[in-house]
Amino acid sequence: MKTMGTENADHANFPQRPAASPFASSSQSTTPFLSSGPVVGSEAFAFRPAPPNAPQTTPSAPQTTRPYLASGLMVGSEASGPTPQFFSTAQAPPPRTSPPGQPVFPPPIRAPAGHVPSPPVYLHPQPQISYGLMGSPPQSINYVPSGRNVLPPSSDSLFSAPRSTLQPLQSAFPGYSSKPSNVVTQPTPVQSTPVFSHQGGYGPPPPATSTPFLAHQRGYVPPPPVATPPAVYSREQMQHQGSGLPMGAVQGLTEDFSSLSLASVPGSLDPGLDSKVLPRPLDGDVKPKSVSEMYPLNCNSRYLRLTTSAIPNSQSLTSRWHLPLGAVVCPLAEAPDGEEVPIVNFATTGIIRCRRCRAYVNPYVTFTDGGRKFRCNICALLNDVPGDYFAQLDASGARIDLNERPELTKGSVDFIAPAEYMVRPPMPPLYFFVIDVSISAVGSGMLEVVAQTIKSCLDRLPGFPRTQIGFITFDNSIHFYNMKSSLTQPQMMVVSDLDDIFVPLPDDLLVNLSESRSVVDAFLDSLPSMFQDNVNVESAFGPAIKAAFMVMNQRGGKMLIFQNTLPSLGVGRLRLRGDDFRVYGTDKEHTLRIPEDPFYKQMAADCTKYQIAVNVYALSDKYTDIASLGTLAKYTGGQINYYQSFQSSIHKEKLRHELARDLTRETAWESVLRIRCGKGVRFTSYHGNFMLRSTDLIALPAVDCDKAYAMQMSLEETLLTTPTVYFQVALLYTSSSGERRIRVHTAAAPVVSDLGEMYRQADTGAIISLFCRLAIEKTLSYKLEEARSLIQQRIVKAFREYRNLYAVQHRLGGKMIYPEPLKFLPLYGLALCKSIPLRGGYADAQLDERCAAGHTMMTLPVKNLLKLLYPNLVRVDEYLRQASSKLDEFNISRLPVTAESLDSRGLYIYDDGLRFVIWFGKMLPPDIAMSLLGEDFATDFSRVLNLLCYLEGYCSGSQLSA
Amino acid sequence: MGDLFAWLLFFFILIGLVVMVVYQLICLADLEFDYINPYDSASRINKMVLPEFITQGVLCLLYLMTGHWFMSLLCVPYLYYNVTLYMRKQHLIDVTEIFNLLSWEKKQRLFKLGYLVLLLFISLFWTIYSALEDDEHTF
Repeated sequence: MKTMGTENADHANFPQRPAASPFASSSQSTTPFLSSGPVVGSEAFAFRPAPPNAPQTTPSAPQTTRPYLASGLMVGSEASGPTPQFFSTAQAPPPRTSPPGQPVFPPPIRAPAGHVPSPPVYLHPQPQISYGLMGSPPQSINYVPSGRNVLPPSSDSLFSAPRSTLQPLQSAFPGYSSKPSNVVTQPTPVQSTPVFSHQGGYGPPPPATSTPFLAHQRGYVPPPPVATPPAVYSREQMQHQGSGLPMGAVQGLTEDFSSLSLASVPGSLDPGLDSKVLPRPLDGDVKPKSVSEMYPLNCNSRYLRLTTSAIPNSQSLTSRWHLPLGAVVCPLAEAPDGEEVPIVNFATTGIIRCRRCRAYVNPYVTFTDGGRKFRCNICALLNDVPGDYFAQLDASGARIDLNERPELTKGSVDFIAPAEYMVRPPMPPLYFFVIDVSISAVGSGMLEVVAQTIKSCLDRLPGFPRTQIGFITFDNSIHFYNMKSSLTQPQMMVVSDLDDIFVPLPDDLLVNLSESRSVVDAFLDSLPSMFQDNVNVESAFGPAIKAAFMVMNQRGGKMLIFQNTLPSLGVGRLRLRGDDFRVYGTDKEHTLRIPEDPFYKQMAADCTKYQIAVNVYALSDKYTDIASLGTLAKYTGGQINYYQSFQSSIHKEKLRHELARDLTRETAWESVLRIRCGKGVRFTSYHGNFMLRSTDLIALPAVDCDKAYAMQMSLEETLLTTPTVYFQVALLYTSSSGERRIRVHTAAAPVVSDLGEMYRQADTGAIISLFCRLAIEKTLSYKLEEARSLIQQRIVKAFREYRNLYAVQHRLGGKMIYPEPLKFLPLYGLALCKSIPLRGGYADAQLDERCAAGHTMMTLPVKNLLKLLYPNLVRVDEYLRQASSKLDEFNISRLPVTAESLDSRGLYIYDDGLRFVIWFGKMLPPDIAMSLLGEDFATDFSRVLNLLCYLEGYCSGSQLSA
Repeated sequence: MGDLFAWLLFFFILIGLVVMVVYQLICLADLEFDYINPYDSASRINKMVLPEFITQGVLCLLYLMTGHWFMSLLCVPYLYYNVTLYMRKQHLIDVTEIFNLLSWEKKQRLFKLGYLVLLLFISLFWTIYSALEDDEHTF
């Protein structure tokens, strides 16, 4: 948990990218949009006073060095009142050094024709689209030029005018009125959220909105000094664009937009957009309804979501659907009470499957020939019904025993698998802990928290009484623990030969938890004290994993690694990389995000082969090369939990909660997953944490409800003739109770020939989930910019395509149109581009943080991902003021995540599903702050943590209901 | 007479190379059709990679040493490609990503195969040619 008070507002992030323009002193107006800070922090940034050294005399063009600045613009604006004038001037003002009297607007950018709103004249014809997107009334394009003309042509008066218009705004923010910061920075609070809505004032001028999705194109090109001849200007601009994005892409997009012309309303002085009307996903993840109504027998959308529920019938149609075509599968998603997946046991007949395509029997198979045959819905083959499964058909053609057969009425079922689905007896749940006990692990308090948490979870581990458990600790040697049930104290054995690892006592290192419970308890009690004086700084990580692998490879299971330093000894030792700044931004940058040592990939492959899942808990305060460690989790179906500079006083609850969840959630073991679909459609690529065992078989040593897998499909034939395509996800797994089962989810989707229908049946959540995985995978071999432009360009193309569909029938004016299900797509796309794995440049997120977040986002189910991208923001001070008895009626209403929502007199909780951030308003009544933090509220945050624990229940409750 | 033996030697080395590349292709094809698992496939292919590279390098060197500089030159692109792969440590198959790389690995080996077959034909031609020439000299 990270608490963020207003006190820590001192680390303002300023773009430091080398700028090729004379305006290198970028104006502070960019600050709120920096993707550099944590996303969470950006609200706080918005309120942060700019450093006083901000040059008031050079309200130089806001140099949007950050790629996503401009894209912030597309979502909304609340340019109220006079701000447009201010900003329009602030954008292209000459430096003060320009000779007074020089015409201020010989606008090199602007069309020579003055205010004739002919888009092509603008260097950025894109603005039109973003206006419409915001659903605003047609925006006057020539508004800005005319606004400019009002201004006196002297640069001095030019600047005074904006200042005066700004004053009312300042006063609207009492907390800042006393700040001696300069004019340009003042409006930052007004400019609402960096991430989601946008800088009000910047909205209206065309340059601002110019690049809805083209952020790296540098929305605002720094205008040259007025004296600069236009020719020079344009060249400079080209350079800027070129530096941000490959030139071809820029031109491509420009063409994209140039086909959309905006009918402007001449003379309109519409100030801009109202951010209140912008679509905001305050209800969280909205699942598509229409298809589940059309096909009530489909499995619930929590298990399987298609990016569009209308499958295109031809490849040409697919190519016009610019969004990914695929599915996101979360086979073990948690079902609310009463909706559990029914368990079906075909003890006598064996599991009914299609002879040819091996699909499982499901609600969509049709019985014919009096019930003696059934037609497979996937491949249309006529199969015989086994004698034991035979039932008469009634008049309507339905089986008479339909109601007793959940597999024929429910989209999701669990079949109990007979012996032919096993290669060995079902394994017991097995947890093996590999714990770093070097000095930093002890010093940060990690060891103590881990030992306590494991101990508290022992009773709740799944699979009692078969659960097995084992421990290894390591520093510069490896310590094994004999936990035989006949002992009273665990025996420790130290192996210090790291080059030739051997396992002492191969049998007693993994023990049955219920038999050896007292030994395990004794071990966990003594673990923190055993190493409290350890001064060893080395870490034999690789050899320890190898040793753990040798202990586990007979049975498989889950390996939980707690790592506190960079692996420094034996195989798999890693070196510090990423501290060479010169690598960033070059073609070699991506190598920092992929594992350096082949040991890790090989180890991961071996682990998967022997059904071992690896979960990595990285808690270092220094670089630990998550890119390499994460590989272990990536190919074994595990996960990465990363705690930046772990301190038990701060991160204790987070670690405890996440470890407890990891240990106690329902887990499926030694599983494989396959998705089948009807003829003509084929799944081509799979994205997530797993290893492919054959072209379409996903090997998952352990699966749980918090893991989702995405896949993309393609059409094989030129024309799909069937009216419906069926999808079937089958997960063969061993449950914690020791039963071999097959979970089958079946869904149907109509085939359409109409592109508009595809867009109307789209599912933003699934699309974003796939985009997220595609982009993160792209960062492993390309630059970050390219990963972001992948998302942006495809979203832009999709909306353009949709618009083209209707541009003829309807007079669209300047509006961007979108189908209802894609309402939030631009917003989420933007949030995705600003998420930790993809944002900014090298300084915007630490390498480890980036990699860890990337690994996490590759596994998250749709709902959790959307929450991470657009977190909950809740104001709590009003509730705290009420008596505690009323807390039962704690009715949480989500606020838009904008700076506007933050009142400096309030207390807010920001919850992205992985952490809470408490935001203390600057003007928060002292009684609340006092009661929460005590007298000394600069230092003591322990009470805040208590408060959070208290609130956690409420918040998570509301998520479930949402 | 020495020339004939040299060409025969080249011919058999080339046959050996072709066999190694075809074996790798078979492993990849088997993997694609799910006859073997990725672990076996990758380890079998990886066992073959270095011998193939070394044999090819030796062949190139032998061409040069026996004064067949044109043939040696023909081998150089192949050698260069192998060396760059090796330097970038991309010569071995990555078992974790094998399915994503499958088509590329197959294509790469098919090209190598075509290349080798071309060399094989040239070698065959020169073998026969030098045999006939030897024949003429004996009379």
